[in-house]
Amino acid sequence: MVTVNLTINGKEYSGETEPRMLLVHFIRDVLKLKGTHIGCDTGHCGACTIQWDGKPVKSCQILAVQAQGANLKTVEGLEGPNGELSIEQESFREKFALQCGYCTSGFLMMTNYLIRNNEEMTREEIREKLHGNYCMCTGYQQIVDAVQDAQRKYFAQKK
Amino acid sequence: MQGSNSSAQTLVYSEDGKKSGSVGKAVPRIEDLKIIRGKGGYADDIEFADQHYAAFHFSPFAHAKIKNIDISKALELPGVIYVLTGEEVKKITNPMKSRAATKSPTSHYILAVDKVRYMGEPVVAVVAKTKYIAADAIDLIDVEYDPLPVVATIEDAMKKESELIYPEIGTNQLIEDHFKFGDTEKAFKEADKIVKDRIRIHRYASTPLETFVTSAFYDQTRDELLAYASDQQPGRTVGSIESTIKIPQSKIRLIVPQVGGGFGNKLAIWQYVALVSLLSKLTGKPVKWVQTRTESLYAFHRPRGFMDAEFALRKDGKILGARLTDWQADGNWPYVAALYSLIKFANMCGVYEIRNLDYSYHSVATNDPPIVQDRGVGKPFMSFALERMMDKSADALGIDRTIIREKNFVPAEKMPYTTFSGEVYESGNYPENFRRALNFSEYHEKLKLQEKLRKEGRYVGIGIACGIEPGTSNLGYYFLSKEGDPDYNGAGQMATVEMVADGTVKVNMNGPEIGTGHVTTIAQVVSDVFGLEPEDIIVDGWYDSVHGHLTYAGTYSNAFNDVYLGAVMKAATLLKEKILAIAASLKKENVEDLDIAEGHVFRKSDSEKLVGVKELAKISYGRLLSFPKDQDPGLKITASYVNKTAKPFHRDDFNVQLTHSNSTHICLVEVSPENWNVKILDYSIVHDAGKVINPGIVDGMAIGSTVSGIGGALYEEFLFDEQGNNLSLTFAEYMKPTAMESPEIKLDEMESPAPNTVFGTKAVGEGGAITSLGAIAGAVEDALKPFGVKISELPIKPEKLWEMVKDTDEYKKLTGGAN
Repeated sequence: MVTVNLTINGKEYSGETEPRMLLVHFIRDVLKLKGTHIGCDTGHCGACTIQWDGKPVKSCQILAVQAQGANLKTVEGLEGPNGELSIEQESFREKFALQCGYCTSGFLMMTNYLIRNNEEMTREEIREKLHGNYCMCTGYQQIVDAVQDAQRKYFAQKK
Repeated sequence: MQGSNSSAQTLVYSEDGKKSGSVGKAVPRIEDLKIIRGKGGYADDIEFADQHYAAFHFSPFAHAKIKNIDISKALELPGVIYVLTGEEVKKITNPMKSRAATKSPTSHYILAVDKVRYMGEPVVAVVAKTKYIAADAIDLIDVEYDPLPVVATIEDAMKKESELIYPEIGTNQLIEDHFKFGDTEKAFKEADKIVKDRIRIHRYASTPLETFVTSAFYDQTRDELLAYASDQQPGRTVGSIESTIKIPQSKIRLIVPQVGGGFGNKLAIWQYVALVSLLSKLTGKPVKWVQTRTESLYAFHRPRGFMDAEFALRKDGKILGARLTDWQADGNWPYVAALYSLIKFANMCGVYEIRNLDYSYHSVATNDPPIVQDRGVGKPFMSFALERMMDKSADALGIDRTIIREKNFVPAEKMPYTTFSGEVYESGNYPENFRRALNFSEYHEKLKLQEKLRKEGRYVGIGIACGIEPGTSNLGYYFLSKEGDPDYNGAGQMATVEMVADGTVKVNMNGPEIGTGHVTTIAQVVSDVFGLEPEDIIVDGWYDSVHGHLTYAGTYSNAFNDVYLGAVMKAATLLKEKILAIAASLKKENVEDLDIAEGHVFRKSDSEKLVGVKELAKISYGRLLSFPKDQDPGLKITASYVNKTAKPFHRDDFNVQLTHSNSTHICLVEVSPENWNVKILDYSIVHDAGKVINPGIVDGMAIGSTVSGIGGALYEEFLFDEQGNNLSLTFAEYMKPTAMESPEIKLDEMESPAPNTVFGTKAVGEGGAITSLGAIAGAVEDALKPFGVKISELPIKPEKLWEMVKDTDEYKKLTGGAN
């Protein structure tokens, strides 16, 4: 067993794990942060997307021990200190961008990154950048609406 | 009588004394507030103390005898506490029973006994302290198989010398039947033209992103089972746990938390809920199983099959009669055999008036994996077959594809319309829907655009499909294939509405929430009853069997907008009546003069607030001495609601489903002559789902279901080799549409309210999955008209198109003769 120390959403965590445990299992089963989901085990679906030093990564493709000392962010870290919704959380709700919601954590973590690290994206660009996240319910249209809306809000906030 | 609100305030109401209400508005979803914070509470988020994990050895063969199972090494692995095989299962459980087959198999248990019938069938179960140890233990299990000849196709299965999937039945044809309506023989005699085709459907599935998850704890101190599952039909699961592993229903509590997508797929989880419950009972430990994606792709798909269709046509395009023969490879999970064939009666003539029709069907067992009721069940294939036949008929007669449809629509003035078999289309206006779709999609401009692009050498085509989207199953159609009264029939739902002691209104719909916005929709309709805002109503999105349920309780068959809302509204209305009666008695008013809004009972004539509902709740639960003598204390109503238009089954007059939405899909596609990929340039839908309670939710499902159909039409297919091995076991091989492949869909809604539901609402969740197949196929065929390509099967993958075009003159022209 190995002790893994890391930071998630600004808080320090420590947990015991076998070297072979996947980071997503470590986050969910050891640290009990259940917002990050598993949808495919093979890196296709993006339900397990989190951020590592601000960049989106698929936590089912990483071992927990590789994340020793890492600075991570999960969906639980999006809301403000008093539970205020983040702009991407707001936009996803306002645009009906979720149905069953199982993929939503991954999409939110991706959106949070995309809107901050791109010039204003066209719908086609958004679609291309989201191709690593699967949604079986919405057909993606309202998700694209939400990403566009969130980016507009982000730019408006920056001004 | 004391009252804290004796100082009268006056509220502003419309003329009928009601607030404007939230029905019809795109109220943001209440359930989202949890999900977007990562607190959705799915089945895998729930853990028991001392949680143990199950894992299964799944058969690597499609058909084989189990010669020997060696579990000794697995049992030696530290952390493994139990291993279960078929030998024990045969002793302590009952086999799974068939719902439809005339003779039920008697050899198919929840864990394989003696032989396996599909690749992916569970053979050995392990319980261990962690999921990693459980997976290790599976690698240490040695199962010796003796392969049997594989029954890979319907043709194989029907051969005289074929290996039998169920030797005890004596045939691989589980069910066959023949129906005749009208005078089809005469229709064919009088026809100017007869058009025939064999239309095929492939194996595909909706693959919800959350896989099967179930956990169970059998409490040996109380002999009670508590189980959690991502289950769409928990009412039936409770019964199936009883019938297989013999725990009485009265000792089962089953809870379904937020489900991460259903689409029918999770109607099949019950076998694993029974298995995991059994493992807990045998070990005394809480046991959880989380299916991997590969395990989820093994089984529970739509069946593959084909339909031989024949249309008798008059030269003006009128369909005089039809003959349909349906063959479905129903795999080998006897539970749902024939379902895909029988449910086709719900939309067998689609939006068209066809009075003379012969229908034969054959449900055949093969070594394909089990099937499940995937989004729309047999209706997408039925609609695909009909729309292909409409296009082929138009082409054969040399008339326009729009004209043949217009010629055959059920006329609006015939609504409600009873089809040849007794299905009642309770509402809709198909010609109007079609006209609107032609306008909305700018069809005539598209024709011009197509002509222009064709001249530029581009292969662009237009597809049209008109489809029925049935809702609310009347269930017992198995009656059609089997003697007696089926266990499940009719359409109903039970719900509870209560005002708790602090005056809060709570609703339990007692069905799973699978992502279809039930919590918000119910909050909208109930808040209107009590003059509150949707966020004031607490709707429990979890199913819990302790609340009571009808035998087939579940979220499927587009029944929510009918019987769920019916049951909730019945309970809410009864509760409101009770509250008003209590208020009238306390305040010495006439009950009919009173109404309720914004937390008060008020007099309608002058809007004077008479008493607060919090006060009434307090009295109703606690202050029983000041409570009216003619009322019972407590404010909790459980009501059952039945859609009474469900007919008892007779072979010549039956209805399979009770509401019927419809839509027209028109799309423009382009096929690349370089890689034969199909790109959707434009996709328009005019959808009629009757009254819409929340347009944000309904639009989302109309679009989402369409993309799910597009996936099935263009990309998704479970492929098997000749040994029955499933070759599509990750999302690398089983290709789902991503945001990149999915088109922007233009959607317009029209409203033909259903007369047989409380709000006039109808089916919503399946329409796109039903109607899109025909639109895409028609468009691709139209695009490749210069090659003479005919599309009779899906998915339309580039390699298939290339096979179809490569020997044509047009192709030679295009490539200068080179392949």
